[in-house]
This record gives sequence, C-alpha cells and structure tokens, in this order.
Amino acid sequence: MTHSLIAELKRAVFGWFYPVRYNLERWAYALQRISGIAVTAYFLAHIVETGNVVGGLDVWSVPSADLARDVWAATFRFLDNPLFDMGLVVIGFMLVYHTINGIRLTLTEFGFLQGKPARPDFPYEPKSFTKAQRALFWLSVLFAAATAVYTLNVFFGA
Amino acid sequence: MLLHYITGLGIVIAGGVHLFTVFLTGPYVENLAFNGGSYSVIAVYRNLLLAATLELLLVFVDYHALNGIRVILIEFHQGPKWERGVSWILAVTGILLFAYGTRTILIANAIA
Repeated sequence: MTHSLIAELKRAVFGWFYPVRYNLERWAYALQRISGIAVTAYFLAHIVETGNVVGGLDVWSVPSADLARDVWAATFRFLDNPLFDMGLVVIGFMLVYHTINGIRLTLTEFGFLQGKPARPDFPYEPKSFTKAQRALFWLSVLFAAATAVYTLNVFFGA
Repeated sequence: MLLHYITGLGIVIAGGVHLFTVFLTGPYVENLAFNGGSYSVIAVYRNLLLAATLELLLVFVDYHALNGIRVILIEFHQGPKWERGVSWILAVTGILLFAYGTRTILIANAIA
C-alpha cells in the first residue's frame, strides 16, 4: 500500500517534468503548478523572515526597538548572499507568471475566452485554447521574463 | 474552489499594495531598513491601514497556498483516507502559519 502510494506520487511528479508531446496548455498547467509550489516555499520563508522583525520565536512579549532592530539587521546580513539573490530572481519570474496565468485561469473558470465547441480536426489543436488565451499565456511568460531581467539587474547590475 | 479564485484576486490587490509600498514609494533599500522613512519596516507595521492590508494578505496567501498544495496532492492520488489526511495536516499547518504571522504583525505594531 505504502509502496504503491509512493510509486504513484513519483509518477505524478515526473509527469510534470517529462514533457513528451505536451501542447502549450499542458506547459501552462505544469508551469502553474511548479510556480505555485515555488511561491509557497517563498511564503513560508517570508513568514519566518518577517517574524524576525519582532525578534523571532525567542521573543514572546513586545521587545525593545533596539533588540528588534538588531535581529532584523542580523537577518538581512544572513540574507545578503548571491544564492538568495538568485532565488529571488527565480521567485520574481514564478510570481509574475503565476499571477498573470492565474488571471487567465480565473477568466476560463468563469467562462470567458473559451471559444466555441467544434469538431476536432487535424492537427487537433484544443478549441478551448483560443488566440486570446494563447496571448495571455505568452504575456505572462513575457512579463515574468522581464521581471527576472529587472531583478537580475537590481542584484547583479553595475 | 470559488474561495481559491476569490483569494487569488485578493492577493493581486493586497499583494499589489504590499509590493507598491516596498518598491515604488522610494528606494527599496530605505524601505527595507528597520526604521527611518515613512515606509520603513516598522513604519508600515505601525500604520493601521497598511498593517491591516498585511494581515489580509496573510489570510489570502495562507489559504490560497495551502489549498493549492491540497489540490496538487489530491490530484496525485485519490481516496477518502488520503484526502482527509492531507486536508487536516494542511489545515493545521495553515492555522499555525496564520497564528505566527498574526503574532508578528501584532507585536511589530506595538513596538515602541
């Protein structure tokens, strides 16, 4: 039982990273999942990080401003590291992609930009993935890439 | 799932305000300093409207993120036991995250 469950989860995860005969919609889906997990990881880290504004888990009453400032400064010294900077570049890409593609998915959920049902003909392009949907998908990739370039420039630019 | 879309749109708004206060109200290095300008870290927590926006953002992201993980996990594998287990573990995780984040906002708001 346990073994088959782990095997099933493994197969499901590899399904995202094994892009055989993916169409654009399937890529959008995989990226939405991956970016969601990435942004969730950032959220968890951000909750811990901002907890240090008040001194972190050691402090259970209102601390003095001096103590809080010292812990915050120490947190920033710890985070001042090219590895974390690179992480933020990736998170910038993921966040913007997830936002704009998420708006596309919300529109789809409520029935907008759906296209009309029609007989499936060769090359079997999904009729639901209309031109407007494709445009929104590429817009999300474009803005995400622009954000990544901007963030790279902020951290590593001259 | 309606709540997933509602919180998603809420994040676009509350997260927009959050990013605006950090990056577009002045040099972000000043805004990420502990105190100083009117949008420094401690100034934002002391501003009731901005602190309330942060709390709202915390609730929205907390729900949206953990429900997203739940959707992924119950898409990977189906079954009543699995679904109940996943839902409970993520609900408890979400409540703990909400409690810790709220604690940060309340204490930071009270720092003299």
